Amino acid sequence: MKFLYIIVFLSVFSSAVQADLTIFACEPEWASLSEELGGDKVSVFSATTGLQDPHYIQARPSLIAKARRADLLVCTGAELESGWLPLLQAKAGNSVIQTGASGYFMVSNYVTLIDIPTSLDRSQGHIHAAGNPHIQTSPLNIVKVAQALSQRMQEIDRVNAVFYQQRFDDFNQRWQAAIDNWQQQAAPLKGVNVVVQHNSWGYLFDWLGLNKVTVLESKPGVPPTVSDLNNTLNQLKTTPAKMVIHAAYQSSKASDWLVDKTAITSVTLPFTIGGNEQSKDLFSLFDNTIQRLLDAAKQ
Amino acid sequence: MKPLKLALLIAASLGTSISAHADQISDLKAEFLQMRADYEQRIEQLEQRLAQTEVTTNAVKTEVASVKATSTSTATTRNNNSFNPAISMVLNGQFSDYSDSPDNYELSGFALQDEGGLAPEGLSLGESEITVSASIDQLFFGQSTIALHDDAGTTEVGIEEAFIQTLGLGNGITVRAGRFYSPMGYLNEKHIHAWNFADAPLIYRGLFGNQLTTDGVKFSYLLPTDQMIELGGTVGSGDQHPGAGTNSGIGDWLIYARTGGDIGTNHSWQASASHWQSSPKDREYAGGHNHGGDAVADPVLFNGDTDISNVSLIYKWAPNGNFKQKNITLLGEYFYLNEDGQLNNSAELAQYDAKQYGGFIEGIYQFAPRWRTGARYDWLGSKLRASDNELLTDADLDFSGFHPQRYSLMLEWLPSEFSRVRAQVNRDKSSRNDDTQLFLQYTVSIGAHGAHSF
Repeated sequence: MKFLYIIVFLSVFSSAVQADLTIFACEPEWASLSEELGGDKVSVFSATTGLQDPHYIQARPSLIAKARRADLLVCTGAELESGWLPLLQAKAGNSVIQTGASGYFMVSNYVTLIDIPTSLDRSQGHIHAAGNPHIQTSPLNIVKVAQALSQRMQEIDRVNAVFYQQRFDDFNQRWQAAIDNWQQQAAPLKGVNVVVQHNSWGYLFDWLGLNKVTVLESKPGVPPTVSDLNNTLNQLKTTPAKMVIHAAYQSSKASDWLVDKTAITSVTLPFTIGGNEQSKDLFSLFDNTIQRLLDAAKQ
Repeated sequence: MKPLKLALLIAASLGTSISAHADQISDLKAEFLQMRADYEQRIEQLEQRLAQTEVTTNAVKTEVASVKATSTSTATTRNNNSFNPAISMVLNGQFSDYSDSPDNYELSGFALQDEGGLAPEGLSLGESEITVSASIDQLFFGQSTIALHDDAGTTEVGIEEAFIQTLGLGNGITVRAGRFYSPMGYLNEKHIHAWNFADAPLIYRGLFGNQLTTDGVKFSYLLPTDQMIELGGTVGSGDQHPGAGTNSGIGDWLIYARTGGDIGTNHSWQASASHWQSSPKDREYAGGHNHGGDAVADPVLFNGDTDISNVSLIYKWAPNGNFKQKNITLLGEYFYLNEDGQLNNSAELAQYDAKQYGGFIEGIYQFAPRWRTGARYDWLGSKLRASDNELLTDADLDFSGFHPQRYSLMLEWLPSEFSRVRAQVNRDKSSRNDDTQLFLQYTVSIGAHGAHSF
């Protein structure tokens, strides 16, 4: 009987500290966007940090506990979380976060994915059938997601719908101004040749007009082999590149190797919020990303 | 206006003689400079507007491309195939070498079940598992794992798991029904291919013949707390070893509690406790030796009550919580079986009281993204008392109180998350016959991307 009291007490206590909408974001960029759009009406938890590879997350007990209490899942989708999110859904005993339910929001459904493979075979490495899931690298995608997410938040939490709409309008205005500013800053990056370690930057390059010469991981998710690296060297002889880019959560080994062999500059980009100290929210994430690219282009 | 002014100025300047005043010239100069600055500014403005137009055009282009792409992608996903369940298959094979003959293998103080023995010596095909899963409708999810394995030339088909589970009861409640791995301990709920070593811990081998399953119903409740706390239980048919016989009602039951959380971003843990009970009817002792195949003419049978308690603790570490590059897993489990009843065969009957216990600890270190190594230590103990020791001998139960132990080392290479090659060495003291065991094993998974629990 005592045990029952404890359960009742815990449930009462936990509901007392909840905000109007509890959001479980799979990645920090969507946690930050949810905060921008929800203000103090939402309490947001990010399942991963900017220093973790979102493909390889453990379905830890702490994540199960968070998923149990979530009103809304905000995740990338496009199979990025397929190794862990289905387990959280299965174990949480939470009806609203099940696939297709009102609290299931996959951001990749609201943007146009690039790099959709024409043939699906695992010998090609860890490919994503739905396309490149790393959509947060372009602010043009963020605004599309923001619109759809705000819509969803208004549907789930009708009481605060007007508030969410105001937050979105305000965010949208600031974001458009920021995009104009970033585009002006990044003008010198147009047409600059770059090498990437993992194919995570397609959306960023499309936006800024950077030119990807080659990928160090010839097969996604598989560390580059010696022959892959030698191929890269040969390619760079014909098409020299200014810099080699990797995300903060990735090992810099392959990039370092290339820096050793050529005159190329290595750039570590935050990839998402928390990828480095400067990237604290969506705005500073792009400020920092562009600054780092410009610094490298100058060298 | 400006060009006119310019022309007039030029005409005027041409008309004036060289003897014009110096201050007049400097005036003109100033005007020229002013005009030049004016024009430059206007050109710059024009350039900026042009650049802006370019950007907008690009934006429109991407927009158009995106609209095109969405319209085609929605068309392609609408076909009947998209409702197919997720299908995956696990294939494995191994090479095993033993210093002692595997036919001599015994686990002192325990009776080995059919699958509880050693893998065949030399090259052998391991179990091939087919798993099919999908959401059934808005309420249920279903999953089934069919295992195929060779036994003395014939292929045996077994249903490892076949269950349905609620998706959306809400309030942290989940109900599962069918056949499933019992929520006892940590490894028990995982498929063998997801274990860290090529063979089962000795205690799993001794108590369950590798794994405990339930044919029945499982309830679980997840508390709405920040720290994960799950309480639950199962009721089952009771005919899975170490239960036995048919029951008109509930044949076995189990309760469990598990909790876990994170400590900072680098550490995470989970602890669990569980208790299982059954009253086996005519549980047969296969005669001790593994893969006996042939039925013993006059087997020893057990009738009575049996219960097992378990505690387990798992801890994982990864720098920044990023498991891809490097991580450590430490796992320990302990089981205690308590049994009370009678042993009999056609001729004799004896009172029987048994305690069988033991555990294992293992540590796994993934030191590079594609490499893992690990060590494991197993130990067991038993106290078997019977009013007639002859029946214990007939059941091939060693009642001397010998403590089996085993030390294992393994090294794994993982070309991708879908494949694994493993080498393992055991120093095995399961009985008084010491054995050194070597395994080389591959395990691959084809088809749907499986998700592995913590």
